[in-house]
Amino acid sequence: MKLHVVGQNNMRVDAAAKVTGKALYPEDVSLEGMFIGKTLRSHKPHACITIDTSRAEAMEGVVKVLTYKDVPHNHYGVLMKDHEVFCSEKVRRIGDPIAFVVAVDEEVASKALAKIKVEYRELKAVFDPEVAMHQDAPKLHGESNIVYHYKLRQGDIEKGLEESAVVVENTYVTPMVDHVFLQPEAGVAHMEKDTIVVTTATQYPHFDQLEIAEALEVEKEKVKVINAAVGGAFGGREDITLQIHLALATKLTGKPVKAVYSREESFIAHAKRHAMVMTYKTGADEEGKLKAMEARIIGDTGAYASWAINIMRKAGVHATGPYEIPNVKVDSYAVYTNNPFGGAMRGFGATQPPIAHEQQMDMLAEALNIDPISIRLTNAFKIGSKTATGQILKDSVPLRQCIEAVAEKLGFSVVSRGV
Amino acid sequence: MKEIKLKVNHKDYHVAIEEDMRLLDLLRNRLNLTGTKEGCGEGECGACTVIMDGITVNSCMVMAFQAENREIFTIEGLEKGGRLDPIQQAFLDEGAVQCGFCTPGMVLSAKALLDKNPKPTREEIREGISGNLCRCTGYNKIVDAIEKASEYRKEE
Repeated sequence: MKLHVVGQNNMRVDAAAKVTGKALYPEDVSLEGMFIGKTLRSHKPHACITIDTSRAEAMEGVVKVLTYKDVPHNHYGVLMKDHEVFCSEKVRRIGDPIAFVVAVDEEVASKALAKIKVEYRELKAVFDPEVAMHQDAPKLHGESNIVYHYKLRQGDIEKGLEESAVVVENTYVTPMVDHVFLQPEAGVAHMEKDTIVVTTATQYPHFDQLEIAEALEVEKEKVKVINAAVGGAFGGREDITLQIHLALATKLTGKPVKAVYSREESFIAHAKRHAMVMTYKTGADEEGKLKAMEARIIGDTGAYASWAINIMRKAGVHATGPYEIPNVKVDSYAVYTNNPFGGAMRGFGATQPPIAHEQQMDMLAEALNIDPISIRLTNAFKIGSKTATGQILKDSVPLRQCIEAVAEKLGFSVVSRGV
Repeated sequence: MKEIKLKVNHKDYHVAIEEDMRLLDLLRNRLNLTGTKEGCGEGECGACTVIMDGITVNSCMVMAFQAENREIFTIEGLEKGGRLDPIQQAFLDEGAVQCGFCTPGMVLSAKALLDKNPKPTREEIREGISGNLCRCTGYNKIVDAIEKASEYRKEE
């Protein structure tokens, strides 16, 4: 079979527009008579709030100040509807949106933000996900901060560890990471008769449409989301940021409304890669064959769940790395804290565990006096391998070739021991 | 308000500006040249790179009044008679464009480099684009493109 696309070099359809500067990103779109919108955000990580917008609304040039009172259905979120469009009683992180000023220009909008009075009654906050798991920790939503617990059990972990010649136990931590897509969030919304049109850069236009429709309590068909050129995303544009704010603003004012975030606001507004705490106990026999692996992975999902369930499940499923291990016990958790919220970012939970399982491999190799390449070849998945979750790998498992190619390029001479 | 004269992409402009206006805002909001991008607003990312009197500048760090009587090149000024500049063509041919937000600044940094040094080494190319951040490509394709652009320009 001759393939026409796979294996061929093809020109991106939008490359010519991008290389000439003609491609329109949302901040490049301007509409006649449009207003400018700016977001007021929480300065406290955990607090009860009362809001007074009257001084801002009285300013010349201020068209409207949106708060939770203006949102028909004040909830959204990709998996759990735990975000509020605008915080009503409580803020749960620094950066939570509280109000959205719609004004004739940016200068007025910025001045109006400073005139909104927010009274914070601070609550005890929690920033460490391990502390947040305790029953007596401050709660973010509901009765427990544990959003999700993924359990994986394979074989007999106690027996596997007992039978191991060497057991290595360590805790690894990875930090939250921002996507820093180069184009900060921006968007323009306008009315086309009774249809709300939101032009923005998103990874999820169909879902944005649904979330806007639900928040505004309008039919989905009355919301149109146009994806302009997207200046990078890497998972960071999977959650809503300004889409509902803009849709609501144009619906209530009848005029086009535009918002552009600064880099600083972009950092504050969108999700982060989950920070993880990973405690690993890995055992191998004298030949370096893995016997058992126990992992406890705690993911800090911050103030909101976003994709935490899928991400922490993926972290748990990938916890063994690409190795055959007969006895496995994994517990991975997603936990609410008052930190920036964790969400999708390149790898979606599969990126963090290799920090732990690969360091474990190196330390096992060192303890057993085996070279680090050999110990990996001894345990690497191959065709026919069964993963800890019970999947039989039927084809395309070129891990061995990959490791061998890397070893060769490094000039590493493999001391084969029972490989 | 202040009136200034400047040349942008071979065209003379006489514009009224505010004293606190940045060159970036003048280009994007007054002259509607939106190919110049704002990524950080503090001179870190290079998305707003333009060429001013032959030297690349971050247009977010240059005040509009500082452009008085200067000659500016933006990404919109590169095509000649509907034909892509060799640098633009090389970026296309080498697959150096992904999200595209850094591309205008990258292309202009490449132009400033090649105008001074028509046959740069890969190291000199990396130095030449060291003020421009890209989050998609990993830079290798961009360096390849600038190398290729150097060849294209020789052929012309």
